[in-house]
Order: sequence, then C-alpha cells, then structure tokens
Amino acid sequence: MAILLLVLAPFLAYLLWLVWALLAYPIPISYNLRSLWQRKVTTLTTAAAIAMVVGIFVVVLSLAQGLSVAFVSSGREDQALVLRPNARFELNSAIERDRIRILQVHPLLARDAQGPICSAEVVVVKLFPMADGSDSNVTIRGLEARGLAMRPQIRLLEGRWFRPGLSEVVVPRKMQGRFSGLELGRSIRMGGRAWEIVGVFEAGGSSFESEIFSDVNDVMQAFKRNSYSSLLARLDSAERLPEFTRAVDEDKRLKLEAVGERAYFKELTKAGDPIRVLGNLITFILTTAAVFAAMNTMFAAVASRTKEIGTLRAIGFRQREILASFQWEAIILCGAGGSLGSVLALFANGIQTGTTSFDTFSDVSFAFTITPELMLQGVAFSLVMGLLGGFLPAWRASRIPLTEAMKG
Amino acid sequence: MKWIAFVLKSMRRSKLRTLLILGTMTFGVLVVALLLSLLTTLDSVANNPNSTNRIVVRHKSGLTQVLPRSYEAYLKQQPEVETVCGLQWFGGFYQDPGNFFANFASDEETLFQVFREEFGASGITEEQLKEYIRDGSGCIVGKALADKFGWKVGDTVPLTGTIFPISPRLTIRVIFRSPKPSDENVLHFHTKLLEEGVPRMKGRVGTYFVRTKSPDDIPRLIERVDRNFANSASETLSETENSFNLSFVKMLGNISVLLQGISLVVLVALIFVAFSTMAMAIRERTTEISVFRALGFTAQRVMGLVILEGLVLTGAGGALGLGLTWLLAAVLRPVMGSIFPFFQDFNVQTGTMLLCMGGALAVGLLSTFMPAYEAVRKPITEGLKTL
Amino acid sequence: MNGEGILPQEGAIIILRDIAKSYWRETLEIPVLHGIDLEIPRGGYYALMGPSGSGKTTLLNLIAGIDRPTGGTLQVCGFELNDLDDDELAGWRNQFVGFIFQNYNLVPVLNAFENVELPLLLSGLSRRERREKVEHALELVNLTDRMLNYPRQLSGGQEQRVAVARAIVTDPELLVADEPTGALDSKNAEEVLQLMERLNQDLGKTIVIVTHDPKAAHHARHQIHLEKGLLDKTIEVNR
Repeated sequence: MAILLLVLAPFLAYLLWLVWALLAYPIPISYNLRSLWQRKVTTLTTAAAIAMVVGIFVVVLSLAQGLSVAFVSSGREDQALVLRPNARFELNSAIERDRIRILQVHPLLARDAQGPICSAEVVVVKLFPMADGSDSNVTIRGLEARGLAMRPQIRLLEGRWFRPGLSEVVVPRKMQGRFSGLELGRSIRMGGRAWEIVGVFEAGGSSFESEIFSDVNDVMQAFKRNSYSSLLARLDSAERLPEFTRAVDEDKRLKLEAVGERAYFKELTKAGDPIRVLGNLITFILTTAAVFAAMNTMFAAVASRTKEIGTLRAIGFRQREILASFQWEAIILCGAGGSLGSVLALFANGIQTGTTSFDTFSDVSFAFTITPELMLQGVAFSLVMGLLGGFLPAWRASRIPLTEAMKG
Repeated sequence: MKWIAFVLKSMRRSKLRTLLILGTMTFGVLVVALLLSLLTTLDSVANNPNSTNRIVVRHKSGLTQVLPRSYEAYLKQQPEVETVCGLQWFGGFYQDPGNFFANFASDEETLFQVFREEFGASGITEEQLKEYIRDGSGCIVGKALADKFGWKVGDTVPLTGTIFPISPRLTIRVIFRSPKPSDENVLHFHTKLLEEGVPRMKGRVGTYFVRTKSPDDIPRLIERVDRNFANSASETLSETENSFNLSFVKMLGNISVLLQGISLVVLVALIFVAFSTMAMAIRERTTEISVFRALGFTAQRVMGLVILEGLVLTGAGGALGLGLTWLLAAVLRPVMGSIFPFFQDFNVQTGTMLLCMGGALAVGLLSTFMPAYEAVRKPITEGLKTL
Repeated sequence: MNGEGILPQEGAIIILRDIAKSYWRETLEIPVLHGIDLEIPRGGYYALMGPSGSGKTTLLNLIAGIDRPTGGTLQVCGFELNDLDDDELAGWRNQFVGFIFQNYNLVPVLNAFENVELPLLLSGLSRRERREKVEHALELVNLTDRMLNYPRQLSGGQEQRVAVARAIVTDPELLVADEPTGALDSKNAEEVLQLMERLNQDLGKTIVIVTHDPKAAHHARHQIHLEKGLLDKTIEVNR
C-alpha cells in the first residue's frame, strides 16, 4: 500500500499541478477546443477509437461485476452453511437425516417464535433445454419454507410460493428468458414426475436467480436422495459465526464442516475467473494500443503547431504553460472519447447471459449492468489515457526552442 | 525491390509516428489474434479427430446422476461396439483445492483400448501396464501433470475427494505422454477403489465411454441405446464424444459472441486510428507527392507507393502482434488451462495467423486509400504551392 | 500539329499558340493568361519575368506539363500536350523535362544519391546503370563527395545543386526552374546560375526559368516580360 502510494504520488502531484496551472495561467481551454476542431477528422477518429476501447473496458468491468454481484450478494454475514467435510460446494455435499436433526436444535442457532432459524436443503442439477436449443445444467434447490425467509433478497413477483407435497416449483424471472418452457402455469418434468410452476421470483441479482426452488422433501423423493445437501443456519449475530463453525467442526458425532455463508459464495465467484482474467488482459493490451494512438495524434498536433507555439512563447507564455495546455488538450480529447465509450457501453446494459461454474457444473445467470459508477470509471480511465498519451507530446511542445519555432 | 527499399526509407520520415502506429497495430492485432485463437481452441474441443470412434453414454438428468453398472453388459453386446470403459469424474484435489486437474476413477482393463489414440504416444510398456492393473491403489498420470507437481513413478499421491467422501492415497505406476496437452493433465485410478470406498457408488458409474468399430455405426447405436433405456429408472443420454465435449464448451456461456464482438470493435478502432494517422502523414506530404508527380511519377504510381508504405507498416505491426501472441500463448496456456481444462490446448493456428495478417493488411489498405487518392487528385501546381 | 497554320520556327522546342489559363475561386473566374503565342528554340535559355500575378509561373507550369491550359495549344519537345492524358503526360515529364524548384524539394529521408536516383526508378534501368547515371550527374554538379549526405546535412547551395543533378539525370531536353535562386544567398546563387549556364552551353539543354532576380535573368540569353497575363516584350541579353 505504501509502495503504491509512493508510485502514485508524483502522478497525483502532476495532476494537482495541472489543475492549478489551468486556473493560474490560463492559455484558455477554448484555444485547445478550437485546435481540436481544426483537425476534425483526426480528433474524431482518435476519440472514436478511444471510445471503443473504453466501451470494451466498461463492458468487461460490468461482466466481472455482474458475476461478483451474483455471488457476493447471495450471502449473509450472520448465517452459516453446514456441509460434508471437503465437499466445498452444496452440490457435492451430503448430510444424513440424523445429523440434520442434531443440527436443527443446535444451541447456537438464533431462535424466534417458531423455534431455531435454519433450513435443511437439498441441491441437485438437471439438464434443461435452453431457448437457443442447447441444454444447460440448472440447479434445483429443495428447501423448507423457512429457507425462503432466511434469504431476504428473494421477492415473489407473480403467483405464490410452492406448497409441500404437491410437486410445485417457483422459477426465477431471469431464467425465463434464457430457458424455454418456464412460464407461470406450465409444468416441467423431472425425477419422473410433472412439476407445476406456481410462482416467479427475483433475488436482487444474486446466484439464487439461477436456481429453481421447490419443497425439500418433494425434491428428495423425486431424485431418490435420502440425504440432505446442506443446512443453512441463522446465528444471533455475525460475531457468533466463528464460534459456531468451530463447534460444528469439532463435533465428533457430526463429522461436518461449517462455513460462513458469505465466504462460501465468495469461493463460488471463481466461476467468473476465466472471463475476468481474459477481460483484464484484453483491457490492458487495448489500453496500451489506445495510449499509443493518443500519443500519435498529440505529437502530430504539436508538430503542426510549431509556429503557434513559437508565437505563444514570444508573447510571453512560459514552457510550463505550454506543457499544461497541450496536456489538457490530450485529456479533453481522450475524455471526450471516454464519455462517448461509456455511453456506448449502455447498449450492453441489461443483456442476460450465463456461464457455468466448473465446480458445480451448473448454470449461473447474470446480467450486464452498466451502472453510473462503471461509466464514471470508464471516463476516469480515459482521462488517465489522456494523461499518459499526452505527456510526452506536451513535453516536446514545451521544449521547442523559440528560434526553431519562429523559423516555421 | 527498388520500391520496397524506397518505401522503407520513406518510413523513416517520422520515426516516432512509425513506431507509434506500429505499436498500435501490434497491440491491436495481439488482442484480436488472442481472441480468435481462444475461439478456434474452443472449436477444436468439439472437433477432436481422435474422438470420432467414441460415444459417451450418461444419465439423462445430468452429469451428477449415475448409471447402473448393469448397462455395461448391454453396451458390450451391441454388434457395433468394440469395447466399453466406465469413467467416473472424481473431482479430487492434491494438497490444495486450488490445484485443479481432471481425475477419474476408470475401468483399468479397458481404459487403454478405448482411449488408444490418447495413450498411443506414451510408449507404455506391457510391464508397466500389468503393474498398474495389478495394484488396486495404483494410478496413472500424464507427463504434463507429473512435471507440474514433480511426481515420479512410485510416488504416493494423496487425493482429497470433494464430490465423494474418500481421500485415496494412490501410487503412481505409469506416467504417459499424449499428443495433446489437455490429455496429459489427467489422472486415472481404479474404479474399484471408488466403489469400495463409497457405498452409493457400488455398482454405479457416471459415464460409459464406448468405442465403436466404425464412426458410421454411431447414429444407429446412439438411437438404439437411448430407446432401450427409455422409461427405465435411469434413462440415458448418448452422444458422440465431440458433442459431449461441446456441452462443456457451452458451459462458458455465450463467450464466443463476446469474443467475436470485441474482435470486431478492435478491428474498427484500428481502422479509425490507422486512418487518422495515415491521413495526417499523407497530408503532410502533399508537396512531396506533387514533386514526385512533376518528376514524372504517374498518379497511380504515387498512390501505389503511399499504399505500399501503409501495407508495409500495418503488415509489420500485424507480424509483430502475431509474434507476441505466440509468446503470450505459451504463458497463458497453463494459466487459462488451470481454470478451463480445454485451454491447455490453446495455440495460435495458421488460419488465425493468416486471418490476422489479412486483417492488418486490409487496415493498411483501407486507411491509406482515401488519403492517397485525395492527395493525387489535387492539381500538381497546387501541391507545389503548399510549402 | 500546328492547327493554326502558322509554321513553327525551325528547331523550336516549345510552341505556344493562343494559350489562355483561368482559375476559378468558387464561381468567380480569375483569368491569368490571355492568348499567349510563343516559340522557344531548341537550346535556348529564356527567363520569364514580370511582377507578381503577371502569370509567369503559370506559363512555366503549362510549358512543363504540370498544368493544363484553358485554351490554346502547346507543343513541347515534339508533343502536343493537350493530346496526352495524365499518365502519358507524367511519362513525358519524366523523359523530357527536368525540374528545379525554389525550395529544392529534395526528399528529406533520402540521401543525395537516392534523391538524384528518384526519376530513374521509373526507367527500366538496372541498378548498375542507374548508379552510373547518378554518379555522372553528381559529377556535373560537382557533389560527388557529398553523395551519401542527407539534405539536412547540406548547405542551401549544395541542396540546389543536388536538385539540378536530379533534374538532369534523365538527360531531358528541357529544364524548367521556378525561382531557382530565390532561397539562396548571392554566392550560392551565382554558383547555381553558372552551373545552369554550363548545362545550356555545354550540354545544349533548353532552359526556361522564372525569376525576379535581375542577376539570374541576366544569365539567360533572352528575357520574356509578362504583364497582366500578356506577353509584354522579349529582350535579347547582350553579354
């Protein structure tokens, strides 16, 4: 952190100086704007190229963020998930009924009028036909009514929740577009029986929006499972979490493992890693290319204005003012491109897509969400490109000898 | 030749600009080549020529469901079938959950027959083979995997199960070589070990890999197998191995649309940048172009020279970009491979190289044509005046 | 070829008949030359003189075939220029005309040798043949020792001499020069003028120059004065 600050310090100092220079000795910004307009074609093409790079940057960012949101917003600080040791994921886990019974009355669980707050659940995957004709694995979660209440981000949009014993399911709104035949009132076949879709829900972008919910006992019967997958447990407070995980881990009767719900989902975000790694790499390379392009344009601008610079110097402007002026011109050029790019990225907003977690072999849906924050990041990113790409040309402009400039 | 030499000299006019446009082209092509290579790698997963003789039979409900062992006998009876190997994804890890690699419990007797091509290059001796088959807790690993963890024949590898509650200690009996890197990052151990350790796997297996006598038999066989087990407790889904692999590629989601989209945007951005740079460069040379024409160079000749310069520049950028891609591929292969196994085969194919080179040259042509045309359309006398 | 029926003077290399030239600025026609008749004999050395805007550079451009008249015909080096299309005209320039410019117009990234070689690249000559011709031309302008220098390493006078070498390397019949001494000091100007005089006298090149400079005009054997787009008078220079 300290090293990072040390590296950034000259950068920030330069930035502050630039702002001060703008206010203190103004070569008016309108001069830069007119100069940019003078070379319309160059300015527009460079800005357009930067717009595309920033557009890609914002989309990649939103992708990575969409994935993180899907998982991180799924967990609560004061809840724990109990699994079989080393299972790592609910899908791999199995817990026998007798152990669930011990857990359900665990003294550390939070309680309300209906008793301890926990939900024994089962997770299976099933191949479903997608809207595009291919198949994808979908997670089916069987849970207790309590389990719904324990996930406050879940909201019913249409119909009603499933009732136990009737083979009813509720599906997430997000999946309806990507998979076929998930409309309210229709039925789906799994485990040798028909399940009626009685409700549609949303879950605030969390990973539950990639799961179909039903009653835990119905699912276990249909899929011939005699063990649960996991137990979701609410604790009195987030501070009790370490105590609970230790208690479960050390309980010789249980031979189970507890993890914080939030930590569990954080582990799952790894599903997005290939996309993230690739996205970062692409952004990095493209940025280099864009900085080169901006530099090129600015060098040309400086070269074609040698005489003007000479005149400015002759009038009495100093080298540093010339430097600041050209640096600002580069920043304006890139900033304009960056703003355009951020706006263009909005076209990707709301597009639903999905990927599969290779740990759980099941589908994760998420949406490209272009938030104002991301767009601002895109613009900031383009300003940094302007700073990097403009510095050398501006430096050269400020170093042109007066005599040389006047020769024209 | 004299023209190429001339163009090369001409490129020294503004070394900085030449370098910057070269850099822009290089990195732009790098991105496009990288993305296209990823796409072709994904394509090749589902077009493996070694797989044409094999089909995969699995549970219709999904990968996590298992099939009864009794199906094996039925499959073996089919006249089109040469041999059958049961394979169960074990999903264990070595030491750390981050050490991801493919590991299977498989039928040791038939494994080498069904995956003849994959083991063909390994030079496994009869003796080693017998040793593996004899040792119930033996395992075989690919060379790449063994190198990664520094394993030798005879070493003990403790594998921690995630899907299954067992953690077998395995002894390496064979280290095999394979033509494809992804086939070398694999560990196999005996089916029996899993069946004995996990009661619910007794008499069950996840997938059957079936080797047929001829690829022509496959459609008929698939149809018959699935029909035979329809309406049973465990319905089957049979498909070619390539189609089975394709379903894993599909798991990445519509990533290929994204990759193609980004490639296209980058290409357009490159054309923009190249166009503005070339236009600038050519505009600065209006006088020189007029001088050339006064000296007797025809309009086409001058245009040709200017365009040739653009082509040499973008072509060089393209070549550099491809060179970098090739280098980066070597670095990226293990990184991407550890996340998505098929990327272990990541490489830059000739087709991709040609396409990228073609793209780079097209950028050179498109970006110089208009400015060059404009420059020669101007009357010579006018050009000579712009001093 | 001489449609007007006027017989050309014996050995005339440039024959202009009723040459007119106008430029358009938007919709406004700006006439520059009005009906010029002129013959220049082979081996002549003519200076075109006149105040700014008299049309002397325009006339030179027309003779050199880098511009086209709006009216009239011109025959140069035996070719009716109006009959040639742009590409033929380019080939014709390469073969028959050598150019010398006020600002030398050397290519900055090429050295003296390569600059002189430039017009020869269009010929089918081999590398060795080109080398011989270039060396010969540089010898004529006395710059053999500066062959590998780049323009920025040469003085103005040397640059202009390289330009002269480039103009004569294809052995053209006609040399045209627009203010060849305009950018030079008097000593270098004198050098270049003497060189051109030698080319005229020893090699028999026909030379047409445009100049303001009385000294330069004095080197020519005839001075043609233009006034407002019309031929004013032709003076023979006595030496």
